[in-house]
Amino acid sequence: MPGAQGGQGLVEPIVLVTPGIALLFGAFLFPVGQILVLSVVPSGEELGAWSNFARFFADDYYIRVAWRTFRLSLLITAATALIGFPLAYAMARAPRWLAFLLLLLTVLPLMTSVVVRTFGWMMVLGRGGPVTDLLMLFGLSARNAVLLQTETGIVVAMVQVLLPFMVLTTLGVIAGIHPHLEEAARTMGAGFYKTLRHVVLPLSLPGLVSGSLLVFAISMSSFITPNLIGGVRLPVMASAIYQQAIHTLDWGFAAAQSTLLLIAVLGLLVPYLALMRRARV
Amino acid sequence: MKKSVRTLLLASTAALVALPAIAQERLVINSFGGVYEENHRRLVIEPFEQLHDVEIEVVTLYSADTLAQLRAQKDNPQFDVVHFSGGQEVVAAAEGLLVPIQPGELTNYDQLYTIAVEGIEQGHGPVYSISVAGLLYDETQIDPAPTSWNDLFTAADGDLVTIPDITNTYGLLTLLMLNKIRGGDLGDIQPGLDAVAELLDNGAQIVTSSPELQTAFAQGATNFAAYAADYAHTLRAAGMPVAFVQPEEGSPAFFITANVVAGRPNIELAKAFVDFSLRAEAQAGWAEAMRYSPSNKEVVLGDDMTAGMVYGQEAIDRVVRFDPDKVNAERAAWTDAWNRTIAR
Repeated sequence: MPGAQGGQGLVEPIVLVTPGIALLFGAFLFPVGQILVLSVVPSGEELGAWSNFARFFADDYYIRVAWRTFRLSLLITAATALIGFPLAYAMARAPRWLAFLLLLLTVLPLMTSVVVRTFGWMMVLGRGGPVTDLLMLFGLSARNAVLLQTETGIVVAMVQVLLPFMVLTTLGVIAGIHPHLEEAARTMGAGFYKTLRHVVLPLSLPGLVSGSLLVFAISMSSFITPNLIGGVRLPVMASAIYQQAIHTLDWGFAAAQSTLLLIAVLGLLVPYLALMRRARV
Repeated sequence: MKKSVRTLLLASTAALVALPAIAQERLVINSFGGVYEENHRRLVIEPFEQLHDVEIEVVTLYSADTLAQLRAQKDNPQFDVVHFSGGQEVVAAAEGLLVPIQPGELTNYDQLYTIAVEGIEQGHGPVYSISVAGLLYDETQIDPAPTSWNDLFTAADGDLVTIPDITNTYGLLTLLMLNKIRGGDLGDIQPGLDAVAELLDNGAQIVTSSPELQTAFAQGATNFAAYAADYAHTLRAAGMPVAFVQPEEGSPAFFITANVVAGRPNIELAKAFVDFSLRAEAQAGWAEAMRYSPSNKEVVLGDDMTAGMVYGQEAIDRVVRFDPDKVNAERAAWTDAWNRTIAR
């Protein structure tokens, strides 16, 4: 009997994971593997392996593009955390109906395509939009110096697009912090902000960190919003890869940039996951 | 009596049996989809079907993809006639994918401008439509009307000037034209890139697509742009006071050609189709519907139409054609150089 059960114990999981693994292999691991191979194999006969990577690091244009991508992703992450944490905290402590309403408002944009949301921002930030009109009213902006096609515009639109990810991950953790802990801090004489800083913030750190990683990873690789808001004059890594793959047909170089992007994101995710595991043990 | 009935019976049976053998002939062609394809069907495809009692299968496929398919199908081609708009016919002819057409095989040959048949000797098909690039401006804001590409640099509102990105065909043509004016050639486009940088320093903006240009004109974000004559017509139709002018230095263009594919059974019929595309009647229809410049001298258009067009011998003489071979060879390198020039 135990033997038969053992056999079943192996067969059932295999049956259950097969569709998932097959999909993952066919639609993810295989193409990513192809990209990895493509990035290393030289594009011309006379070029050695890794020449695509050498070209990337030798060219200050691509370094500038990579730096912009990294810098903007950091800014976007910081801004989403600054906005997302208070919002998540308010949601966790608000009355039920209000929390539900806030949650709905946060999640609802996720139901809309990112292209549609970005077009909304193009209308708002572009010429003739309310933001530009307001800026011009106060003499802060020249006629065509609108937020569209600026880095500020990219950050603003990306923060809105990515805020739900930060709020939802942080909310999950804050909701698990027992309100008695805050009450205890308050009865011991700590003010609201002191409680927030010394009790709530440290306890919600795991949520904030995983939310930040999620937002950072998506920012680094996002294409649609930076491209539509920033335009062709503010290339980020994803748009540079698109250019190489579609317009100049240099797949090897595009693959090398994709690989570097993957390494950058994994370089953050892997240590984090390892840390989390150790924390749990 | 009996005999004649039997003969009739026999004859009709024979006719029935023979029917599949004389089935309608078929041609497979490509077109570019959308409004273009609608007009293509109305002006060329459907009349040809009726005239020759043939069936034409239209595959919606852009030029680059069509060339890719022709290459892949080299041993077993599936198209009879292919249309190209990006100079791909030069590559296709060089690779032996096309059948050369002799001037004598085209009844409309003598009616065509020289620029339309220049490529025939190299083995590719004639030009049946020309999409010309030039200057688009808001009539209510820019007075006097621009006359030269140099007016882009001296525009009163430098920040309301728009140029298309190099990934857009007209962007590439604009770069090459500015380059030509500034003394460069296809071997050296630095003068053109410097000119673009100068425009950007003046506050000019870059658009990647036609709808983006439309939005810019509609929102007042631009009043002066380098773009296509036929798109000026689209903007006017949308109610904007946008006019087109062919600058005095000439205007670059892309040329839409009809080519006969090698290795197909119906080459004579395919040649007849190409010839049919060239006739004045069809070209007048293209001009009317989309403001493409005719390549046929016999096309007569009213003054109300030709105002915003490149039309007639003198205007066609000022159309500039950049060597498609060189352009195709250098396109990737130019795109890279362009991206470096425009990046902030």
